[in-house]
Amino acid sequence: MYKDGDAVLVNGCKRGDRRAMSQLVSHYQQPVFNAAYRILGNLDDAADATQTVFLKVFEHISDYDEKFKFFSWIYRIAVNECLNQLKKRRTQESLDDDEVSPWQGPAEELDSKQLRERVQDALMSLGDDYRTVVILKHISACSYQQISEILQLPEKTVKSRLYSARQLLKKALENEPTISPG
Amino acid sequence: MTVMQEQNQTESTPVDQRILDLLNASIDGEISAAEQGEIDALLASSESLRDLDKQLRATAKLLDELPVLEPPLYLQGSIERQVRLPADGAKRGNPRVLGQWLGSQWLRTGLALAAGVVLTFGVYEMGSRPISTGDVENLSGTMVKKVPTGQQGKLIDSVQLDTAQFDGLVELRNTDDVFSLDVRLNSEDPMEVVVNISGRGLDFDGATHTRGPDDAVAVRDGTIHLASSGENHFTVKLRRTSDLQQIEPIGLDFIVKDQLVRKAELTISRF
Repeated sequence: MYKDGDAVLVNGCKRGDRRAMSQLVSHYQQPVFNAAYRILGNLDDAADATQTVFLKVFEHISDYDEKFKFFSWIYRIAVNECLNQLKKRRTQESLDDDEVSPWQGPAEELDSKQLRERVQDALMSLGDDYRTVVILKHISACSYQQISEILQLPEKTVKSRLYSARQLLKKALENEPTISPG
Repeated sequence: MTVMQEQNQTESTPVDQRILDLLNASIDGEISAAEQGEIDALLASSESLRDLDKQLRATAKLLDELPVLEPPLYLQGSIERQVRLPADGAKRGNPRVLGQWLGSQWLRTGLALAAGVVLTFGVYEMGSRPISTGDVENLSGTMVKKVPTGQQGKLIDSVQLDTAQFDGLVELRNTDDVFSLDVRLNSEDPMEVVVNISGRGLDFDGATHTRGPDDAVAVRDGTIHLASSGENHFTVKLRRTSDLQQIEPIGLDFIVKDQLVRKAELTISRF
């Protein structure tokens, strides 16, 4: 996911090279879209957020400081954009709409799609800080150090949030006997 | 739930915090060989720790196995059409020159007069009944109707244009049954944009534009014609009249000095 050639492409964009821009979009649209979907829990919102992230990235490409990794920068913009969207959404929706719907089907009907939906629901039940760390670790495959760079948090905080989040997820999933992680 | 509240909920686990940290670091593969040896020894001697390890690894596995989703097919093209790189701006002229123009007394006076004319038309049209395609067949000239300004509604599709003769950006937005077509053009020569909505289940419902001497909006035979020169911004309002789930793309023809320079489409199939 993290290309060595990012710096070359970014410099190309700064010179107005639209092919370089196209390659950066091509490299990063999928990871940004997936992270956005897991944070926002909605495909349309994830597509809108991804679009906004790239427009912001290229609008400010001249300000990008090359001593930082490009992927850290784009992920930071993506996480901030998604969290801002969530804040806006929560002002418009009632709390009831955010609650995880209870599992109602019989155990034998639980297929992999439903399992993934329940895992996503469990993710959405976490606080934003916890969910963001879990997504960067498990969806975006970032290391502790990379998450620390993206979120601008000490590595120690990243670890403690990640561990707490996993325990909370374990508990959330344990409440569904058919998908108990144990 | 706050971080502190959630933290407190996890504190009931009867395992030393350092051991828990080692367990998690081991799951993430971010642990030294010495620490791994330490946690292996602890796991060998504690059944409850082995259970916890198993459960945490299973949770991590569920997360790792979430599928990677493909972004919508339109996304990359839509992003690329809207992105303006720093050098694009330089190519389109120096904004300071525009600032000097706008700063001149005669231009300010001219703009004030033009704004007055636009306002007069706008007030007149606000009081009239809604315009449908049928009402305006073969109509030509300029019309101004009350249309929401600015970027309103959800962005559906866009086309960025960068040709030798002109450049511009067309965006299609949607709110409920109303589509807003935002057309920004910049050309030295007079040009025309033909918007084909025939058979799309859409009705023309008004337009606004920044007024120039040769600029006009006309509707005929299911097509909307936007005549422009210089820098111009049209907002065309379209109202959906059909319940079709799949609407054909809106066709756009860009004509400069009677020559077709570019064709494009705006897709609204997401609805």
